Amino acid sequence: MKATFKIWRQEGGDAEGQFRLYDVDGLTEDMSFLEALDHLNEQLVQRNENVIAFEYDCREGICGQCGVFINGRAHGPNDAMTTCQVHMRSFKDGELIVVEPWRAAAFPIIKDLVVDRSALDRIIEHGGYISAKTGTAPEANAILIAKDKADKAMDAAACIGCGACVASCKNASAALFTSAKINHLNNLPQGKQEASKRVLEMTRQMELEGFGSCTFTGACEVECPEGISIINIAEMNASRIKAKWLE
Amino acid sequence: MFIRKSIIAATGLFLCLFLVVHLSANCILILPEETARTLYNSYSTTLRESPLIKIIAYVLYLSIMLHIIYALLITRSNKKAKPRGYHVNRTKDNSSWISQNMGFLGITILLFLIVHLTNFWARIKLGIGENVGLDNNGHKDVYEVTYALFQNVYVVLFYTVLMVPLGMHLNHGLKSALMTLGFYHKKGLRLLAKLSLIYASIIAIGFGVIPLIVFFK
Repeated sequence: MKATFKIWRQEGGDAEGQFRLYDVDGLTEDMSFLEALDHLNEQLVQRNENVIAFEYDCREGICGQCGVFINGRAHGPNDAMTTCQVHMRSFKDGELIVVEPWRAAAFPIIKDLVVDRSALDRIIEHGGYISAKTGTAPEANAILIAKDKADKAMDAAACIGCGACVASCKNASAALFTSAKINHLNNLPQGKQEASKRVLEMTRQMELEGFGSCTFTGACEVECPEGISIINIAEMNASRIKAKWLE
Repeated sequence: MFIRKSIIAATGLFLCLFLVVHLSANCILILPEETARTLYNSYSTTLRESPLIKIIAYVLYLSIMLHIIYALLITRSNKKAKPRGYHVNRTKDNSSWISQNMGFLGITILLFLIVHLTNFWARIKLGIGENVGLDNNGHKDVYEVTYALFQNVYVVLFYTVLMVPLGMHLNHGLKSALMTLGFYHKKGLRLLAKLSLIYASIIAIGFGVIPLIVFFK
C-alpha cells in the first residue's frame, strides 16, 4: 500500500512552519496510522533527515496523547476513536493524507505535530479534584450513589483530556473538557461539597488560558473519542449561573 | 466571557418572542383589503400611543444593539483563541453549516434590518422621507405604506428571500441560547431541537409568504 503524507513541519514554537510532502511505500492495511508514521520516520533516519515529531503513549486508545488532525478531522476519519486506533485500511491506496497539529492559541506548538496541552492540566489544578478525605476502596463502596448519578459521573469521567474538543471547535473552546471534569465530580456525593467553588474556579481558569467560548456547534461531541455529550456543557452553564448569581 | 454569552442568549430569546408578536400582527395584512386597512392602522396607532409599548420598544432597541455588540466582541475573542485554521477541515462531518456560520447569517439579518427599518420605522416613526397619509378613521395609513412597498417585485423578493437566513439563524439560535442559559434536560433538549426547527420554519415561512400574498392581492 502507498500513501502520500502532507505533514506540518515546524522546528519550534516561534519558528515558521510549513507542509511537506512524503511519498511512502511499503505500507500495509493492517498498520496503524502511527505505525505508518514510524515507517516514514525510519526512512527519514536512513536519509539522514529530521524525523517527524508526534506524540503517543499507550497506543491502545486509552490515554489520548496521540491526537492530531488527519484529513480535516480530529483523530482521523472515524467517529469516537483516538488517532492510534486509526488503521491504514481507513484510507485508499495512494491517498493524500493531510496531517496537522491541534490548532488553538492555548495549545502552542512544541514541534511538528506535538502541541503543549498543559492548559488543560492547569484547569484541573483549579478544582478538578476532591480535597476531602474519601477513605480507601471499601469505604468508598459504602457511600451510596444512585445508579443514574453514578452512570452520569462515569460518562463524564471518561474524558481522557486529549484536546480533540478544543481542536475541532471553531472557537477553540475547552467547554466540553472542562464541563466533563466538573460534572464528573459535581454529580458525586464526595464532589458536591465543593461544587460551586469548583465550577467558578475551573471555568475562570478556562477563560484565562485563552480558550474561546462555546457556540454549541456540536463538533466536539462528534470528534470526542469517548463520546462525551455537549449536554455536559449546558449542565456546566446551569451550575455556573447557580454558583455565580443564585448562591 | 460567560456574561457576554449569556447576554447574547438572553437578548436573542427576547427577540425570538418579539418575532412571534410581530408575525401575529403581520397576519392582519392577508385579510380582505378594507378590513386589513382598518385593523392594521388602528393596531399600529394603538402601539404608537401605548406607554407600555414605548418601554418595550426601548428594550427591543437595546436588545438588538447588545446582541450585535456582544456578538462582535465574542467573535473577536474567539478568533484570538483560534488564530490559525486548518489546511483541510471537514466541518460538515461533525456539525451543521448553520451552527458554523451564525455570524455570517447574523450579518445578512442585519442588512435586512437596516433596509426594513428604513422602509417602515424611519418613515412612520421618525417622519423621514415621503409623508404618510391618514385613513378614513384619521389613523396613519401604515397599511398603504406596506401595500405600496410590496407592489415592487424586487422588494418582495428581498423580503422573502432574506427570511431564509433568518430562519436558519433562529433554528440554531433558539436551542443554543437555552443551552447557554443552562437548560440541560436530556429529553427536553431533543424536544427543544424539534421545537426550534418548527419555530424557525413558522417565522421564516410566515414573514416570507406575507409580502407575496400582498403582492398578488
